[in-house]
Amino acid sequence: MRERVCVTGIGMITPIKPFQGMDEFWNALCSGEDVIKKMKPPMLKHDKEWLMASIDLSDFPNPVNPEDKLQFLVEKAFTMARDDAHLQGDQTTGLSLGTVLGNVLCKEKRLMEQKTYHRGYCLEKESLSYITSHLVSKYKVNGPGITVSTACASGTDAIGVAARKILAGKADCMIAGGVDVLSDFAITGFHAFQAITEEKVRPFDKNRSGLAFGEGAAFVVLESERCAVQRKAKIYGSFLGYASRADAHHMTGPHKEGRGLAHAITQALLQANLKPDEIDYINAHGTGTVYNDLMETKAIKKALGNAAYDIPISSTKSMLGHSFGAAGVIEAICCLLSMNTGTIPPTINFQERDPACDLDYVPNVARKHRVKVALSLSAGFGGQNSALVFGEL
Amino acid sequence: MTPVITGLSKLVSCDLDKGISHMNEQIRHMRFVHDLEKLVVIAVGLVLYDAGMTSPVGKEDIGLYVGVDNAIEDIKSEYFNNILSEGILGASPLLFPFTSPNALTAQATIAFDIRGESITLPIQRSSKDVIEYATDCIIGRYTKMAIAGGITTDRSQTSCSETIKAPVYTAEFFFLEDRKSAMERGVKVYHRVMDGSI
Repeated sequence: MRERVCVTGIGMITPIKPFQGMDEFWNALCSGEDVIKKMKPPMLKHDKEWLMASIDLSDFPNPVNPEDKLQFLVEKAFTMARDDAHLQGDQTTGLSLGTVLGNVLCKEKRLMEQKTYHRGYCLEKESLSYITSHLVSKYKVNGPGITVSTACASGTDAIGVAARKILAGKADCMIAGGVDVLSDFAITGFHAFQAITEEKVRPFDKNRSGLAFGEGAAFVVLESERCAVQRKAKIYGSFLGYASRADAHHMTGPHKEGRGLAHAITQALLQANLKPDEIDYINAHGTGTVYNDLMETKAIKKALGNAAYDIPISSTKSMLGHSFGAAGVIEAICCLLSMNTGTIPPTINFQERDPACDLDYVPNVARKHRVKVALSLSAGFGGQNSALVFGEL
Repeated sequence: MTPVITGLSKLVSCDLDKGISHMNEQIRHMRFVHDLEKLVVIAVGLVLYDAGMTSPVGKEDIGLYVGVDNAIEDIKSEYFNNILSEGILGASPLLFPFTSPNALTAQATIAFDIRGESITLPIQRSSKDVIEYATDCIIGRYTKMAIAGGITTDRSQTSCSETIKAPVYTAEFFFLEDRKSAMERGVKVYHRVMDGSI
């Protein structure tokens, strides 16, 4: 029988109550706190403002150089998760500990400004794998150190890759996470695609008009059940399945029938040995764009059949914005917190039902609901689709 | 499970024209935004051909696992320099998707209709981690077959010719599958893979 993988630590910093702990975050999220507001992008000298959810570093008790935001957030969330799992000192003796980080942009303001064309040469710190290398050396990671970059599915894939490393016997514990900070790269690109909303983020609503940017860093500690039991670790939940599937269809648009995402859901459930009616909650990718939400609804229905109509689905991006590489991990943690608190966070700003999006999106108000099994979905540019399944141990 | 190599490809960006002549008409007429993208598509096409796979694939059996080194920074620089000089009007919707390394992998999935796993791993210089992960995925039965490899910048060569100054990239891919699957398909086996080592 295949060894089981558990989640024994969580840590994250998001625009909602960024430095006030997990309970404060969860209470605020479940009460529908909206921190998305109009702001100017970090670098562009332009009058236009876009909707964004930003982490205010001045909320942190000690001064932080805004130019070091990405690295600061990564290290803070990484150590929060590690400490939550009590993976320090004697607890790590004899363990093989690895890390996987999902990110898409990994650019700090000063590096962008100083960037010149080097042709075949790149400063080490500019490389996408730099942050992972930094974590490996600073925190004495003695197992695998991997970076995943699969657009907006990066965080979800980071957890999947990490779990597989444990299942393959390559590590006892893996600290898997994702990060991205507000960046002119993403803002200008999504502006060019007209994917940014000018008003509220309304996932699955008839009048949804696009996404808003967010930022953050989040990590989970995954470890073999044997290891977790031996260490008497607190267990948030069990990793039950993961799958990635390509749309193989279009560089920026999703497959209109949700083919890739439906396949990812089906495959992840197969691994988890679960039937569709055993899912109690879905944390959707739910960006608030016209095409994503329609595609996602079709994919859920295609994969789960009639059971799809009875499963509560919510988009936490309606409150947190889209934090790209971090999003998948933040949403996976929301699934685990739902399982641990019996509360499902709402999809806020939901006003009018779209006849084409006809599932239960937990509109505006959080719901008390026993969650034994949760599904977290991500999709991204390039036809990336990923699904993660968590369950009670 | 005994993962083995049943296909190989290695292509340098200086030889793109030679490589594309081996592709079918559909690939030959694809519009490419950047040389890196073209390199990955042709190299993946060559490894499929070498492994005796028909294209388009059209199923979920094959996963694509691609390592990308700092080569991707050249695309990012081009995109970002346009923004710096022209503000938001300089943001190219054509180039923007390619600022994320998974765009290279995605283009190959689209070109050959590869619907299995699609994972992009930024790497320093070696594709060892990528091949090891793909091997894990075959052994764990998450994918039946895998195309695994990477794109690296050739630091010893700064351009393909004296007249055209452009970075030189190398793409190298392996087609991996279980020995039993290779036997059933009746294809040649190059080597056995153990933990990412060949």
